[in-house]
Amino acid sequence: MIEVNSLIKSYGDKRALKGISFQVREGEIFGFLGPNGAGKTTTLRILTGQLKADSGEAKIMDLDVMKGAKELHSHIGVVPEETNLYERLTIGQNLDLFCRLYGCDIKQTDYYLERIGMLKEKNTQVKKLSKGMKQKVLLVRALLHSPKILFLDEPTSGLDPASADTIHRILRELNDQGITILLTSHNMEEVDKLCNRVAFLNQGEIVEMGSPEALKLDHSNRRIKVLIDDGHGLASKELDMDSKESARLLSEWMTEGKVRSVHSCEPTLAEIFVKVTGREFA
Amino acid sequence: MTLSFKRIGAILIKEAHDFKTNINILIMYLIPILLAYIYDNFIPGMPRGFALSFGILFLVVMVGMYVPSMMIAEEKEKKTLEVLLLSPANSVEVFIGKGLLTFISIIVSFIILIAMFGGVDPDQMAVILVGGILTAVFCIQVGIIVGLLSKNQMATGVVGTPVYMALLLVPMLGSMGSPTLEKIAKVFPTYYYNDMLYRALNEFEGNHTLLDMIPELGILLGSIAVAFVLLLLVYRRRGLG
Ligand SMILES: Nc1ncnc2c1ncn2[C@@H]1O[C@H](COP(=O)(O)OP(=O)(O)O)[C@@H](O)[C@H]1O
Ligand SMILES: [Mg+2]
Repeated sequence: MIEVNSLIKSYGDKRALKGISFQVREGEIFGFLGPNGAGKTTTLRILTGQLKADSGEAKIMDLDVMKGAKELHSHIGVVPEETNLYERLTIGQNLDLFCRLYGCDIKQTDYYLERIGMLKEKNTQVKKLSKGMKQKVLLVRALLHSPKILFLDEPTSGLDPASADTIHRILRELNDQGITILLTSHNMEEVDKLCNRVAFLNQGEIVEMGSPEALKLDHSNRRIKVLIDDGHGLASKELDMDSKESARLLSEWMTEGKVRSVHSCEPTLAEIFVKVTGREFA
Repeated sequence: MTLSFKRIGAILIKEAHDFKTNINILIMYLIPILLAYIYDNFIPGMPRGFALSFGILFLVVMVGMYVPSMMIAEEKEKKTLEVLLLSPANSVEVFIGKGLLTFISIIVSFIILIAMFGGVDPDQMAVILVGGILTAVFCIQVGIIVGLLSKNQMATGVVGTPVYMALLLVPMLGSMGSPTLEKIAKVFPTYYYNDMLYRALNEFEGNHTLLDMIPELGILLGSIAVAFVLLLLVYRRRGLG
């Protein structure tokens, strides 16, 4: 669906992308994770044709992004980093504009507003909305023309948890309907919950890529934490997954009915990021 | 690039909705009406024709330049233009939509202004309307250029003020009797519209009908062409980034 090869982009002498390559398959939710300044927005803007790369290849549905194909725009929906709605207009006026521009059914506006639970607010001026509501409207705006791929640049950054959850829920629904999604985020948990695959971006380079599951297994220290009740109270024990001794102990505790909980100690995505980049994720 | 009436219409509708709630811009339309009213009613000895011609000149020239420049600069500043350009709309359609709204609103205010002065006779109307339409088209193009050259709304002040002064004030000063100023003023197309207004509204003997003003109309048409070429050049060089 999306194929990127050795993408390089500099702003002046500042290298924002140092040759990144990745692929997004049809039907995936792909997450681009990285701290501020990592190059997420730059990558996204190149893919949507809003920015020219210095070199490298980028194809979306076999169309060359670098050639600036306008026909690409009918296949992609974009939720930008800035909340760029027309603030003085109502929600309905904002969305109707794009319906008309895309030549799609004006009923789409109501359909999607209903889906995000904001049909009642249709005639409210955008400037009177909360950040979370605006973000939902941005999402609807990107969906009106039924795109096959959705690009979202930090869709939940700065949102309250409830709004973020709504956005996550809608993204999952859309994905179930077959829309491929590429989103950027600096929220590790969000990406962990939502994405089929993620790429860690650090200072313009992809330092790690894979499904959250696989990444966690790959970076696991193969230890388990067992909580047992030894008669005097609860005690926490850590065991190596790969030793006979652990197996013996665990089986002993289990037969004696002492085990209260067992957890394997996979790292979180945030811990993996620190491990591969050597820097805190901020 | 293909132009679509539907998309231009969509942008026009959006601008019309936005216009109604945009105080910055609405005030601009009130100024000529208010000034003309004050000149007419509170300044003793002010000829009626002068008050009206001042109001019309301000409306056509100042509003014509200011409104599109602000609309374009605001879309850049608030990054809304980006999304427009991600849609099937292209920048020319955006310009035309904005220019068209400016044009229509100028014509409406124009009619209000003339009605306020109890109307004009058909000969006068022909001159001020035809000249006004041409001047408005010229000024709207200049406004779009100013918008293209400005990063944000603040910047339109820096970029636009010298242009607004040149095109509005110089022609007015030039018609006040100083030969040197008049020479300078003649460089600017708006001078000729000011002159047309003055002659038509003060009913100069013999040469105050539209037919007497063919040279001025020619100059205005030529200016439209020059502004158009300039607009293309600026757009090619600067784009919308
Ligand atoms: N227009 C620009 N001019 C100069 N430098 C920029 C510009 N946009 C981004 N950068 C720089 O490029 C790097 C990557 O930026 P960006 O892609 O916005 O990162 P992210 O979206 O991951 O926060 C940053 O160091 C940023 O300062
Ligand atoms: Mg960013």
